[in-house]
Amino acid sequence: MDTLMETPVRTFVDVMEIWVPEGDRLVPGGGHYGTLSAFAEASRKTSFARGEGLPGKAWAEERPIVLKAFEGSYFLRTDAAKEAGLTSAVAIPVFAGRTLKAVLVVLCSDDADRYGAIEVWAESDGILSLQDGYYGAAKQFEEISQRTTFKRGQGLPGSVWSSKTPILMRDLGLGYGFMRAESAGKIGLNTGLGLPVPVPNGTTYALTLLTASGTPIARRFEIWDARTAKVGSSGKAVLSDGICARSGPLWNFETDRMVAPWQGPVGRALASGLPVIDTGAGAAGYASMVALPIHRGAELAHIVAWYC
Amino acid sequence: MQKLVVIGAGMASGRLLEHLFDAAPGAFDVTLFNAEPRGNYNRLMLSPVLSGEKSYGEIITHDDDWYAGNTVTCRFGEKIDGIDRARKVVLSAQGETPYDKLIIATGSNPFIIPLPGHTLPGVISYRDLDDTNAMIETSATPGARAVVIGGGLLGLEAAAGLRMRGMEVTVLHNTGHLMERQLDAAAGYLLRRDLEARGINVITQAQTQSIEGNGHVARVMLVDGTELPCELVVMAVGIRPSVQLAKDAGLDVGRAITVDAQMQTSDPDVYALGECVEFAGTLFGLVAPLYDQAKVLAKTLTDQEDAFTVKELATKLKVTGCDLFSAGDFAEGADREDIVFRDPGRGVYKRLVLKDDHLIGAVMYGDTADGSWFFGLIKDATDVSDMRDTLIFGPAYQGGATADPLSAVAALPADAEICGCNGICKGQIVSAIKGGAHTLGDIRATTKASGSCGTCTGLVEQVLAVTLGDDFVMPTSQPVCKCTEFTHEDVRLLIKTKELKSQPAVWQELGWTTPNGCHVCRPAINFYLLADWPLEYQDDPQSRFVNERNHANIQKDGTYSVMPRMWGGITTPTELRAIADAADKYNVPTVKVTGGQRIDLLGVKKEDLPGMWFDLNAAGMVSGHAYSKGLRTVKTCVGTDHCRFGTQDSTGLGIKLEKLLWGSWTPHKVKLAVSGCPRNCAEATCKDVGIICVDSGYQVGVGGAAGMDLKETERLCDVPTEEEALEVTAAFVQIYRENAKYLDRPYKWIAKVGLDWVKERVVDDLENRRALVARFDLSQTIYRKDPWAPLAAKADTFAPLADLTLEAAE
Repeated sequence: MDTLMETPVRTFVDVMEIWVPEGDRLVPGGGHYGTLSAFAEASRKTSFARGEGLPGKAWAEERPIVLKAFEGSYFLRTDAAKEAGLTSAVAIPVFAGRTLKAVLVVLCSDDADRYGAIEVWAESDGILSLQDGYYGAAKQFEEISQRTTFKRGQGLPGSVWSSKTPILMRDLGLGYGFMRAESAGKIGLNTGLGLPVPVPNGTTYALTLLTASGTPIARRFEIWDARTAKVGSSGKAVLSDGICARSGPLWNFETDRMVAPWQGPVGRALASGLPVIDTGAGAAGYASMVALPIHRGAELAHIVAWYC
Repeated sequence: MQKLVVIGAGMASGRLLEHLFDAAPGAFDVTLFNAEPRGNYNRLMLSPVLSGEKSYGEIITHDDDWYAGNTVTCRFGEKIDGIDRARKVVLSAQGETPYDKLIIATGSNPFIIPLPGHTLPGVISYRDLDDTNAMIETSATPGARAVVIGGGLLGLEAAAGLRMRGMEVTVLHNTGHLMERQLDAAAGYLLRRDLEARGINVITQAQTQSIEGNGHVARVMLVDGTELPCELVVMAVGIRPSVQLAKDAGLDVGRAITVDAQMQTSDPDVYALGECVEFAGTLFGLVAPLYDQAKVLAKTLTDQEDAFTVKELATKLKVTGCDLFSAGDFAEGADREDIVFRDPGRGVYKRLVLKDDHLIGAVMYGDTADGSWFFGLIKDATDVSDMRDTLIFGPAYQGGATADPLSAVAALPADAEICGCNGICKGQIVSAIKGGAHTLGDIRATTKASGSCGTCTGLVEQVLAVTLGDDFVMPTSQPVCKCTEFTHEDVRLLIKTKELKSQPAVWQELGWTTPNGCHVCRPAINFYLLADWPLEYQDDPQSRFVNERNHANIQKDGTYSVMPRMWGGITTPTELRAIADAADKYNVPTVKVTGGQRIDLLGVKKEDLPGMWFDLNAAGMVSGHAYSKGLRTVKTCVGTDHCRFGTQDSTGLGIKLEKLLWGSWTPHKVKLAVSGCPRNCAEATCKDVGIICVDSGYQVGVGGAAGMDLKETERLCDVPTEEEALEVTAAFVQIYRENAKYLDRPYKWIAKVGLDWVKERVVDDLENRRALVARFDLSQTIYRKDPWAPLAAKADTFAPLADLTLEAAE
């Protein structure tokens, strides 16, 4: 499998955490902190009011947010983050219709040779442009991305926008009709997961995770389709695409792979509509995985899962 | 060990080898030739490779290790030049290869339309990895444009993939809707909508004239003059079985290589499978029967019994986010029954076709969850009479699901205009409801919506129902027909608000319960669409009453009447001679002068119509539209030219009015008259529009009637000049066209909206009047044409129209 390389590398993301609403606050709902136990401890003692801190801001502003500097910002755990070497974060709110189900936060640390991209694209006047993104050391790619826009159906963000569906793209560095491809190829960005981030006010947001083999965001990606229009009223979800550094392609042309509610971490996300982080058996042999539900209106439509 | 030579390393032969190695490992010494320089890969997944959603590595079915593990001698990139059946060898550039058994699996070749310029570099087919890579390479040029010729499965997958690669893409399809072999018009409409939402330009009814370029493709030209600049042309118009090798070897070849149920050709040592074969008159293009063939042939080669049979097939499109499913036969027919479910809000369309209590076809778009279940019912020929009522809801139906008639209104966005008179959008009405306005009266008082002409009342009530739920009781109103719960007024408004520009769009977005409407709604919808979207909508003759289809009035004995136009009731000796000649030539039994100052030829046989039209056209006369829901006649008196009492040139105005208005389609027939003085010899005061000339100008009256109802016109306005009389009349006809219910004469429509409402828009608001005239003029650029002319020119080949499934009858 040459798209995702199975090599012992540092990951692009250091921390993943879930914040869930409880009353009028967001409280910890699980996370993967790796060796950053002090930051984990600080997080466990924290909760956020609406508008407070990064998760609270994503909740209040009803949009995914990229925060690339903690010092002097609204980020509440700046000292703990600084101590842990964390420098940037992306908050992704999970809405089911108007209801906030959770906020997923990923945190990264700067590194001179850590390449990857977590991008938030927003639609305005019929064009999708970069709202913000975290790129690690991929500075040139970041600059190009800032100058790039997508129309409906074009590229990974434009395709996510027009199809309202998560999409997994391979060979990002090959032949795409935009300048990003060449730059992506140079720094080894080879696989991209794009997903819609629905918000109550209807603004179109597409989140993209572009992973490089050297410092992968993930080494296994899965997209599960849970729409009743696809799977009926069974309550199950069907794997519509997937790729794994160890197992190769996860999709099967002739056989549908299904997951039932509560079956593994994806099944838990399916049943609860909440994001799930698993660091045990559910992580398919990887250190951690996250299953992120995506709703269409109030209905759960898809689950994307990534493993690293 | 038998020597088995296989020509072609595609999916069919690959599956055959898998079965063979499973069933009889080591029994065959296999040599596999392939013209492509690679082994078996999943060709069906090339589209995701093109789009970037799969890599080539992922779609390789058999890699080098697999071939080596099964000791297959691979001769990839080596083309077979011939088969010597007598000596049982195949011939290639590298020499002869002997066989005991030979398998031909040469597949198919893409069909290339021999258009001028089809050999230019940049024109490619879409068949294999090389084609795919060529497309990917072209898409790497920023701003590159592609034209895909063919709106079938392959063409659309190519278009979607190229679009994802960043190209500007246009799809050309030569029929009325996409994938017409797999989808009906409604599903085709939804698919087109989805593709257009991806930025793909779709042109149906497209006739490609040529491909042009200087050394490389630069543009595609259509017959209508449209120029489509492009750097890539993808021809995806179909495939042809690749049979030349078999033909040259003397095997029996029909449309493809003829095989029996054991996949044996006319030579007992030569077998064939895949897209290159013909079995029982059937060709194959989908993978399922190919796999069945592979299974059968493996058994045949290992001396087991099996027989290939043709089965029903289902279709899926591999464009992420487009969910469609079709299976079986979904053509319309008198012996068939349709069950239709639509959910406009979710973009869902399902149609089941039943015959003799069996499901024979299914088309689904947007919700394909039950596709496999329906497919099973079709394949198994299950008697569905016991589940007929709930069948459309699928196997999980629990008795509670029904189509929501309000879903189309619920799906309207907040900025959708509900009340055109006062410019009130759905969001404003919803806000008013949330602010406490819970009745129609409250809404009128707070927003003015439905407070003017009142035609949006039904829609406002539906917004109330959607917003308030059970707290609002919908008044019963008369729907257009049994196909819908919407009234005519609702439909008219929604066609404008939702910009519905085709019949399938109306059926789907307004949740019609029938596949294509019925004889009641189709003429109305056809009119509403052509009136609102004259440029975009194409008039559908199948949705017209029989007289309008035949351009003549059918009489009680089955003959027709023919009435040429006489502008303003004025004729000439030449015209009269032509009419007399036509009456003689075609043995017309009755010639009648009508109340509208025309000459009517009654008793014309249907087969004589084109010839008579031809003769009358030759004399300079056009159809008088005596059969139409449109402008009939403008009756005049002689006016100032001859009459002592005439105040204005009433004849001249009548002629100008008729030349301005003729050909326009209206909700019902429209009759005009112009009288030169208040003595009113032209009887203008009982017409739909009647103008009385007076010394000071022109008195324009509207809404008269002299039929089942008798009614005098009401004064719309007085204008001083002939130009204004023409302008006001055109504006009135246009506002009637845009707003009236189909089959409401103007007097009935005016009674509903009120003359003051009409005056405000036609008389008082000069800007609006001119806008109405401009829209009327625009429509007339399409419709001010003689309908006889094109048919008359074909008089020698004329044949009566075939019986139609949906026979509209007046």
